[in-house]
Amino acid sequence: MNKLLRTLIPFDIAKGLSITGKHFAKVFFTANRRKVPFHIVSEYPEVVAKMQPRFRGRLTLLKDEQGEIKCVCCMACEKICPTQVITIEKGKKEGRKMPFPVRYDFEMERCIFCEFCVESCGFDSIILNHQFELAAYNREDFSLGMEGLEQNMFVPSPVGKFSVADD
Amino acid sequence: MFKNEEMEVNLGPQHPSTHGVLRVKLRLDGETITHCRPMIGYLHRGVEKICENQTFFQGQVWTDRMDYCSAVANNLGWAEANEKLFGITVPRRAQYIRTMLNEFNRLASHLIWLATHALDIGAMTVFLYAFREREDILDMNEAFCGSRLTTTAFRIGGLREDLPPGFEKLVTKFLAKFPSCLEEYENLLSENRIWKKRTVGVAKLSAEDAIALGVTGPVLRAAGVPYDIRKAFPYAAYAEMDFEVPTKTEADTYARYLVRMEEMRQSARIIQQCMDGMPEGPVMAKLPKILRAEVNEVYHATEAPKGEIGYYLVGEKGSGNPYRFHVRAPGFINLQALPKMAEGGLIADIVAAIGTLDIVLGEIDR
Ligand code: SF4
Ligand code: SF4
Repeated sequence: MNKLLRTLIPFDIAKGLSITGKHFAKVFFTANRRKVPFHIVSEYPEVVAKMQPRFRGRLTLLKDEQGEIKCVCCMACEKICPTQVITIEKGKKEGRKMPFPVRYDFEMERCIFCEFCVESCGFDSIILNHQFELAAYNREDFSLGMEGLEQNMFVPSPVGKFSVADD
Repeated sequence: MFKNEEMEVNLGPQHPSTHGVLRVKLRLDGETITHCRPMIGYLHRGVEKICENQTFFQGQVWTDRMDYCSAVANNLGWAEANEKLFGITVPRRAQYIRTMLNEFNRLASHLIWLATHALDIGAMTVFLYAFREREDILDMNEAFCGSRLTTTAFRIGGLREDLPPGFEKLVTKFLAKFPSCLEEYENLLSENRIWKKRTVGVAKLSAEDAIALGVTGPVLRAAGVPYDIRKAFPYAAYAEMDFEVPTKTEADTYARYLVRMEEMRQSARIIQQCMDGMPEGPVMAKLPKILRAEVNEVYHATEAPKGEIGYYLVGEKGSGNPYRFHVRAPGFINLQALPKMAEGGLIADIVAAIGTLDIVLGEIDR
């Protein structure tokens, strides 16, 4: 008799549904969605996505206060990169004692964002910024260098309009 | 006249329930499986060979990409195998942080197993709830090492950086709500009659067979063998932790579900102990600039969420690269039990059998 009753009335399914209902009610009856203790959905393109301070984004060359490129071509980053995506050419520049990178090429499509390059740099001349929207339409857009209009190593990629590169 | 003929069917490689690109060759007699052979290799990237051509330091990034659901556990095994090879002692604080992150990773891996396994069998709701909790863990990964999935979390000799400020708050918040979340999953599944019909008595693997096939992890423990490397050969800070190794004797899909749920409880306990007993001090040992091995070999096994992950490294005198690198991937060896579990069963149950093994093809094919 008891078994028949249990077969007829699906208690377990009701139990599952009650959990769903509880969560639904929680969101539905709080008019302001921000008050829900754990909602994980954010209104992403409208609201800027905030990255953690240590987030590993795209590689960026840094300049010092005088606007000079900080890199001194020690080649440590080129050597340590597990996917060999950095190519540096050493050169000289008028009025600068340290070597100057004539070429600093970065093939982003093969970068695996491991931050080994930044770790190995003893001169703090590169960082991984907070940019995460790195998709592009053309393959050439992934080859970053020091020259070029939009896709170079100093400015954030034009593709990711929403991400912040505030450091 | 009608003849009784067996039919050959391919499950996969693009089948959503095979968790990647696994092809299973099945021979069917009606709906009964008479012959089952998993075909692998679609995701082969040659991780072992790549590592042999790179320095010991660089090798870690490839271990992330083997079992991408438990990257931190893979990193831990790699780092410890190297430390064994070079004879480096890791500071105690680093050991504690490693243990804590490893347990978080176990939670994340088990949650993704629960989500996809339940989804395969037909329970959609759990999927969404389990991913909600996994999201918090990935956020913690991001706060600690800057990446969510391919973490590259540790370095040979310790950690790159200490815990970020505010990390304790994230952990406390997570631990406060996690038990109630687990209860929620159990409310949804444990007594659910559809779930029980699909799992109880399905895909059995006896303890003898499991040992003979070299199966490890929750699949072995659900057959009643209390073998857990964290207890048997303690590494990191596990010797100082107080936790239990859950076992069941039914050896079916439902028992594996119960074992993994209990393991999540124990993981939460370990994390709490790590937080309470976190020692102060440095997180990185003193290292030479370039790691060079004398000729010797090490095998180091750790308990990844899926079973025993072992790294075998051979160093070469004066060389900065490993001479030979081999991974004993838990998924690869656990998958060999699939024919034993599926043959003689119904074709509908093979989805449960694949799900309960908790395989990740990135690790199997490497
Ligand atoms: S983040 Fe890693 S892969 Fe990318 S350039 Fe730096 S070292 Fe190379
Ligand atoms: S490690 Fe730093 S200083 Fe050296 S080449 Fe790379 S970016 Fe330049």
